[in-house]
Amino acid sequence: MHRRSILLGAAASALAVPTFTRASALPAGLVFVLDSRDATVSLIDAARGEVVRRTPTLREPHHLVYSPDRSEIIVGDSAGNEFLFLEPDTGAVRRTLRVSNPYHLLFSPDSQWLTVASLRRNQIDLYRADDLTLVHRLAMPRLPSHIAWSPDSRITYVTLQNSNALVAVEAETARVLWRQPTGDTPAGVVMTRAGQVLVANMGEDTVSVIDPETGQTIRKVQTGAGAHNLFLSPDRLFFYVTNRVAGTITALDAETLTPLQHFRAPGAPDCLDFSPDGRQLWFTQRVGNRVGVIDVETGALVAQIRVGRSPHGILFHAMG
Amino acid sequence: MIQAIADAYVALKEAIFDHALLPTLYAAGLMAWEEDASEWLDFALFGALAVLVSILVCAPLERLRPVENWEGERSTVGTDVTYTLLNRLGLLPLFAFVILQPVETAWAAGLARLGIIPPTLETLLPALRDWPVVTFLLYVVILDFAEYWRHRFQHRFNWWWALHSVHHAQRQMTFWTDDRNHLFDDIIAALWFAGVATLIGVPPGQFPLLVLIMRVAESLSHANVRLDFGRFGRFVIVSPHFHRVHHALDHDAGMPARVHGTNFAVLLPIWDVIFGTARFSRGYPRTGDLSGSERLATGSWWGTQVEGAKRLARTLAGREAGPHPDPLPVAREREPRGDAASHLPRAGEGQGEGARQNPAPG
Repeated sequence: MHRRSILLGAAASALAVPTFTRASALPAGLVFVLDSRDATVSLIDAARGEVVRRTPTLREPHHLVYSPDRSEIIVGDSAGNEFLFLEPDTGAVRRTLRVSNPYHLLFSPDSQWLTVASLRRNQIDLYRADDLTLVHRLAMPRLPSHIAWSPDSRITYVTLQNSNALVAVEAETARVLWRQPTGDTPAGVVMTRAGQVLVANMGEDTVSVIDPETGQTIRKVQTGAGAHNLFLSPDRLFFYVTNRVAGTITALDAETLTPLQHFRAPGAPDCLDFSPDGRQLWFTQRVGNRVGVIDVETGALVAQIRVGRSPHGILFHAMG
Repeated sequence: MIQAIADAYVALKEAIFDHALLPTLYAAGLMAWEEDASEWLDFALFGALAVLVSILVCAPLERLRPVENWEGERSTVGTDVTYTLLNRLGLLPLFAFVILQPVETAWAAGLARLGIIPPTLETLLPALRDWPVVTFLLYVVILDFAEYWRHRFQHRFNWWWALHSVHHAQRQMTFWTDDRNHLFDDIIAALWFAGVATLIGVPPGQFPLLVLIMRVAESLSHANVRLDFGRFGRFVIVSPHFHRVHHALDHDAGMPARVHGTNFAVLLPIWDVIFGTARFSRGYPRTGDLSGSERLATGSWWGTQVEGAKRLARTLAGREAGPHPDPLPVAREREPRGDAASHLPRAGEGQGEGARQNPAPG
């Protein structure tokens, strides 16, 4: 399987025009890709595997989420200091909102809070989710990067990328509960069903498993060099870890955190999202300026689609 | 064609980043700089492309229509080549970035704590969102206006002139001279740019081709070439002729304050016209600054850096006055009918050994 994915990847690379190589059917949907260096949102018709529209942003979009009611897609334009609210079925901009340096953003599970990590301001902002009023702004050590929430929506966790630490902040009071060292250059962070915190250490080939009460590292799981970000599959059975340096994506068993498979993922993989059936990983290639599609059953890199420069956040909006 | 070039660029960057830069950063424990490194690779590759295009455009012109040749003189162009490579391949800007990035972060965070979000042109004028090319050109105009005034201040303040004289010291001005600047001057330039960015934002980054063209235009303006852009074109973009007058030697022909007090524009000469500092003359003067030391003119990269710093220290200590009084508005004058009517000292007229002015071909 692994060899096949490499061969398909090589074939895709060899075919510069078109930049899309299809090896299996692609599902219906619109895939939103944030071209951070081009200040655009590339909209990919998933079934055709083609960019069908480019929506301009102001400066440098990095991450995006659904609004709590899923009626809008919110794009954080960090250097542009604004949110863009997009129509999910078309990608059209409905409105914008001035906010300070929104790099990564995540709503709490109860949809009461929105946390924003301001990477270039060394700040964490907590907004009220309903009207996006700023409630708390906390000064942080260097590079607040990615965000997770406790299941009870009480605590928000943020990696401090250049401080090699994870911080836990109580949303209501903005009190820092703890700040604890992680591995080298922590980036992505997620919660497990068991309530543990997982942090991808980009300066290592590991994922730290962290006690949410104390911030102590319980153990580390080896994935691949440059472990960058983690994502829970729709069926909640697997975590997928993008390994920036290794050029792979590692599948972990969501319960035991045992590495199961390593998929080849060229072009410095960063963020990913899933096709509605969970069978395909759509991931951004930060350096390759492409979106890659991996069939998780075969491990094959079934498509590579040219988008804008330095594609980062990605969201698969299912349609039909 | 353009798509093929873009594809080749992406493939090259991917190869360098994936197989060299990223593993190096990882092995060195510097992954915290990974995203910045990716941007710097873009900077360096575009810089290399700009150098290549500058060579392809300017070198033939300098051979075809040179103002001067320096046969018999020791060439000092190599120093400027070093400046160019260090600058455009990103090494000096990287140094400035490492110093200034924490300052920029603290500044922006301080504004955010005060509830201030710096504007952009598009937030000040929302209609511009639908006109990205117009917006970018507007940024070019505004930033060039800011550069015009920075350049005037470089000549106005003695301490700043001490740094800027590194640029003017070159007597063998060629297209490589554009990047010949003192490191401190580069840092001030970065702070200046950051100040403008706080007021109007920074231009969008999706126009690398236009940025490339601007860099090549600035190289061309320093080229050792007899080239003007004609009666109308000279008002549109700075020509080698226009900028050469700004670099003219200041010791001859009774021109002390005026030659260095003219033609400050970097890209758009209209600023000089508006503010009365434009000087359109048909002469092609020699270049340099005789108030500086010989080492400043002919030293290596390091030698000129040290000499510039010493000159700054002497100026701050009051032991060296700036050579230039306030730039004076240029009095209106009738345009000379030919080179012979020029008020400026011409290249090769009895200054320096071995320097000869080349007649225009044809």
